[in-house]
Amino acid sequence: MLFKILSVIAPVFVCAGIGFVWGRTGRPFDTRMVGALALNLGMPCLAFSALTRLNVSPTAFAEMVGAYGLVLACFLAIGLTTIFIMKVPAHTYLPVFTSSNTGNMGLPLCLFAFGPEGLALGICIFVMSSIFSFTVGWSIYAGRLAADVLYNNPLIYAVGAALVFMISGIQPPVWLANTTELIGGLAIPLMLVSLGVAIANMRAQGAGRILIICIVKLIGGFTVGYAVATGLGLEGAARGALMIEAAMPVAVHNYMFAQRFNRNAADTASMILISTAISLATLPFLMWLVLE
Amino acid sequence: MSMETVIQLANIVVPVFICVGLGALWARIGTPFDTRLITSLVYNIGAPCLILATFQKVTLSAEAMAEVALATLACYAAFTVIAFALIRIMRLDIPSYLPSLIFPLTGSMGLPVSYYAFGDEGLALAIVYFTFGAIGTFTLGAAIAAGSFSLKKLATAPVIYAVAIAVVLQLTGTPLPDWIFNTTNLLGGMVIPAQLVALGVSLLQLKTGGIVRSSFLGVFRLAMGIGVGFAIAGAFGLEGAARAIVIIQSAMPVAVSSYLFAQQYDRKPEEVAGMVIVSTAVSFVTLPLLLLAVL
Repeated sequence: MLFKILSVIAPVFVCAGIGFVWGRTGRPFDTRMVGALALNLGMPCLAFSALTRLNVSPTAFAEMVGAYGLVLACFLAIGLTTIFIMKVPAHTYLPVFTSSNTGNMGLPLCLFAFGPEGLALGICIFVMSSIFSFTVGWSIYAGRLAADVLYNNPLIYAVGAALVFMISGIQPPVWLANTTELIGGLAIPLMLVSLGVAIANMRAQGAGRILIICIVKLIGGFTVGYAVATGLGLEGAARGALMIEAAMPVAVHNYMFAQRFNRNAADTASMILISTAISLATLPFLMWLVLE
Repeated sequence: MSMETVIQLANIVVPVFICVGLGALWARIGTPFDTRLITSLVYNIGAPCLILATFQKVTLSAEAMAEVALATLACYAAFTVIAFALIRIMRLDIPSYLPSLIFPLTGSMGLPVSYYAFGDEGLALAIVYFTFGAIGTFTLGAAIAAGSFSLKKLATAPVIYAVAIAVVLQLTGTPLPDWIFNTTNLLGGMVIPAQLVALGVSLLQLKTGGIVRSSFLGVFRLAMGIGVGFAIAGAFGLEGAARAIVIIQSAMPVAVSSYLFAQQYDRKPEEVAGMVIVSTAVSFVTLPLLLLAVL
């Protein structure tokens, strides 16, 4: 069991660790460019490849998307309650609860814990999580309804194309499968190294309320994941992937959004840093619970 | 040529073309691309990981590895002699032209073609060829361009250690622990797509010059590669995947790394860029034909 846990979490630690050292030693690293490469090229290909290769049924896809939708609804409720009690502004603190690192951290954990099936199910969740971040999350930061960023996201088109193959039951041609698999290989390592660099460049600043929010987010995330998985009767990889993804820390892109809309970017950075640190420290325990 | 053959070829070369095309599109749109960062990530982290993970997936005998390694050395020796002779005949200067004529693009283009043609076994054999190329490029190639040799470069190249470890593990039949395999397999996955996209970006960004001479030299590199590849594979009596891999790797176009050195040491970078672009473009046509001949 210990070796299994190690084989699941080591890739995350090593890849993010490489990024962290890279960032701390002051070597240049264009996070924006690497992020664009990972998210605009790598991720859409990885999603298409993982969803079509394993022939994920449209029902299973809908089930995971729906389950994570429920998780997000619970996150909204927890977030709103916390914000109301702590009297902090929603435009900075609400997206922190709903946008998690479902891609860079969640996907490799799903992959190494449950194999290609886990990766495909994790991607269903990641898709839902991305759509939510780029519509609801974005709108909360912007202070107005905005969904246009969604149309610029190649992930949506890749998943749309994958759904055509999944629903029709046709296998994509080998050249397309080969190409998407190849380019998809960029996504996870680049995202993880980027995560490490981003963390190395952020500074945490005190304030007890940030720590409280992080703890509420992570414990709430784990509890909601466990409750929804159990309530829906999910089993095996589906249960594991949902529990992993629900327990992920605050998404790094929140920092970019907060900067862009002039919200409290310093606090957002602190929350990303602290929640990621706690999450990494408790990862063996989380994987033990998930794999058991 | 049957439809099946066309599809089989497409499955091998289309991923390469699309990745390069995406890189070119990336540069065309004007999105920033830090080639230096990507090259550094690939050579220092990605490539060593790819080597460790790939050798874990296949079982190669010591003879098979030694055979391809010797054939590779013979190919490089032949490239060096022929290129040197050509440069002397054309009265060109050695630091600018020798490295670009010797070293083919065995990484970004040779590895994926070998992988899609022969699976993990093909990739592992292609890595043997690639490793000599990478070591040669960063030591001899750099030394020729710089005009001075540095052993330090050789000793600090991470691929050398990765290959040494991979070969020892392979020969002793020792498996990597799961956690190292998962990590290296993940990080190794970025090598080929990142290099191909970087190649596409470079093709659009390179400033070319002296296009007649560089076109001739670029085409010469391809013809020499194909000729030497077939000759050496025949002389060594190679068969199957080993034969095909030695020929494919030898026939690759001029390496982009040659351009990087030419730029760094100001050795006619425009002409080397022309050689890279012309030989890569021509190889898009000759590669499918070559695959037809060796598969």
